[in-house]
Amino acid sequence: MKKKLLSILLGTAIVAASLTGCGSKDEPATTPAASGQPEASAPAENNGEGGKTIVYWSMWEASEPQAKAIQEAVDAYEAASGNTVDLQFKGRTGIREGLQPALDAGTTIDLFDEDIDRVNKTWGNYLLDLEDLVAANNYEETAISGLIGACREVADGTLKSIPYQPNVFAFFYNQDIFAKAGVESVPTTWAELLDACQKIKDAGFIPITCDDAYITSMFGYHLGRLIGEEGVTRVVTEGAWAEEPAVLEMAKAYEDLAAKGFFSPTIASNVWPAAQNTELALGTAAMYLNGSWLPNEVKEMAGEDFKWGCFSYPAVDGGATGTETANYGAQVLAINKNTQVAEEAFEIIKYITKGEFDQKLSEYSVGIPADTSNTEWPALLSNVKPVMDSLTTRWSWAVNSEANVDITPVIKENFLKLCGGQMSAQEFVDAMEKASN
Amino acid sequence: MKKNKTMMFCFLAPAVTLFLVIFLYPIVRTVMMSFFKIDGVTDSISLWHFTGIDNYLKLLQTSLFRTSMWNLFRIWFVGGLIVMGLALLFAVILTSGIRFKSTFRAIIYLPNVVSAVALATMWLQSVYSPQFGHITTFFKAIGWEAAANIQWLDAEHKFWALMFAYCFGMVGYHMLIFASGIERISGDYFEAATLDGANKIQQFTNITLPLLKGIIRTNITMWSVSCVGFFVWSQLFSSVTADNQTIVPMVYMYAQMFGAGNTVTERNAGLSAAIGVLLSICVVIIFTVANKALNDDDIEF
Repeated sequence: MKKKLLSILLGTAIVAASLTGCGSKDEPATTPAASGQPEASAPAENNGEGGKTIVYWSMWEASEPQAKAIQEAVDAYEAASGNTVDLQFKGRTGIREGLQPALDAGTTIDLFDEDIDRVNKTWGNYLLDLEDLVAANNYEETAISGLIGACREVADGTLKSIPYQPNVFAFFYNQDIFAKAGVESVPTTWAELLDACQKIKDAGFIPITCDDAYITSMFGYHLGRLIGEEGVTRVVTEGAWAEEPAVLEMAKAYEDLAAKGFFSPTIASNVWPAAQNTELALGTAAMYLNGSWLPNEVKEMAGEDFKWGCFSYPAVDGGATGTETANYGAQVLAINKNTQVAEEAFEIIKYITKGEFDQKLSEYSVGIPADTSNTEWPALLSNVKPVMDSLTTRWSWAVNSEANVDITPVIKENFLKLCGGQMSAQEFVDAMEKASN
Repeated sequence: MKKNKTMMFCFLAPAVTLFLVIFLYPIVRTVMMSFFKIDGVTDSISLWHFTGIDNYLKLLQTSLFRTSMWNLFRIWFVGGLIVMGLALLFAVILTSGIRFKSTFRAIIYLPNVVSAVALATMWLQSVYSPQFGHITTFFKAIGWEAAANIQWLDAEHKFWALMFAYCFGMVGYHMLIFASGIERISGDYFEAATLDGANKIQQFTNITLPLLKGIIRTNITMWSVSCVGFFVWSQLFSSVTADNQTIVPMVYMYAQMFGAGNTVTERNAGLSAAIGVLLSICVVIIFTVANKALNDDDIEF
């Protein structure tokens, strides 16, 4: 009998404890007044209705400077609106692999961000059309028109994403080396680039270096200068390596650079980030074709006194495109078309991409501001602004030279050999033609 | 003995249900997917387009996939010989009664507790780097310029550099399995063999090796499974986009499933599923052959 009574008592205690544990965490156990503590003041700027939750998946890692700025923007939004933002930093791989399955499984994700092309092309079916929200908020008044135009272009004419953290892909160089070598102005033509390379080499520096991760961009940029992005796409997807004379012309230009010793002697074996961290950042190489994120990536190694310069990939004789064309883009924010909190999500976008927090994002990550009223660029990128302002036509990443999954590794291998002087221009064309058939 | 069928059902139901949901369903779904063209891995079945065996035919016709399979075979076979050979050698030495056995065992096993990312970075930047790498520094120090100038990460050497680095980290794991197998063998056999005049090599070939058949089979299976899942090392040795020297089927599968590099490329989860099926078949074949060849049913000790 005693045992039975004890069992009942213990059972009751467990149930009671469980129920207590299940209580809402939103309700404090004691009020501040009851506990004798001063009542916390409500956020001074809290003028929204509040009470809503917005789920935001971000591509950044929580430890990255971009995440820090976004977190601050979200905190400010929460304080002002009274809403809650469930901000989850998924990292690049996490969002690339996990976003679509999560959306398909019905997970509530109101807002997310990633690269402009992946968001609009791969996840285009999940996006809310933002034209009305943009118009209602007069958003475009202080947005970079070229990037907004790019977002419309990749979404078939309508706006389904908002760019932030803009970037441009161009030649980044060490101004001190240029000065020591007597290169007074940035090269705008291929002949000027060759001239600059010769002077830099004569001064005892490596003119150009690159890592394996970006080598297809060098290939794509030169071929793109000759025949444009459509031409590059045709070559890599249809295998027109021998049929298209520009391929051999491009290969000869790079064979020439290699023969003259203008490339790093280790270019054929530089696995990212070897070249950018050592040769460029430590001041032995002068130029590197890369994105505007480069100064941020190597700032610890390059030091504060490193003077960055930037110029658009030079024009080539008889080319289809000039220095006004380059790959530029941005990360973009997009709203799930099934969201119940579209306006709130757009408000968060405004917090991140406008005013104070856009400036902070630029400052923390040494990036380009997305808000045109934020005219102050980070000092390390001051020479990128003229290049960005001069661009009128946008190329895709690596001028779409990576469009064919089956051929990209072959381009990478053979182009590295070409740059390393282990292969001639004709051998490059022949190898690519053979691999495509 | 009276059987209570209800109780049997109650106890078995959770395990059977979990097995069906967690193992059988994904296997059946993956095999089904391999006969369809599917954009996203989680697309509903209504969006799948039946293509028959086209995915398999396409894989066989794709030079890059064949390259990836060849790379995988070389890692499995050549790497396997190196890893198994060294693991067995170390296991025999460690179980032969040497001093500081635990210390040596810990040292050899150590790479297994370090993350693959850290290990690969160490190999890339500290060992193979043409500027600062230990290999280059060593050859320069002994005045062998030709060897010092070898670029270990160029197209000619990258595969072997990758394989050697990977094998370095795997020896300890397989050594432990071998060592546990050797320690299982009673010392009486070796004592009797010693009394009969057998030397150490004879004891190894006539006692240790035959009694390790089951362990060798286990090691081959474990090695095959880990080789088939080869991914991270390949990614680290060719960041962002794959290259011919380091591509393996899992990397090709990833590119087909989630897109390659920074460019938005066509995706086909069905093709990825077909790769998964092919790799599974490879493992099953290896397991079956190893089971037949290394049958130890007739051995009792």
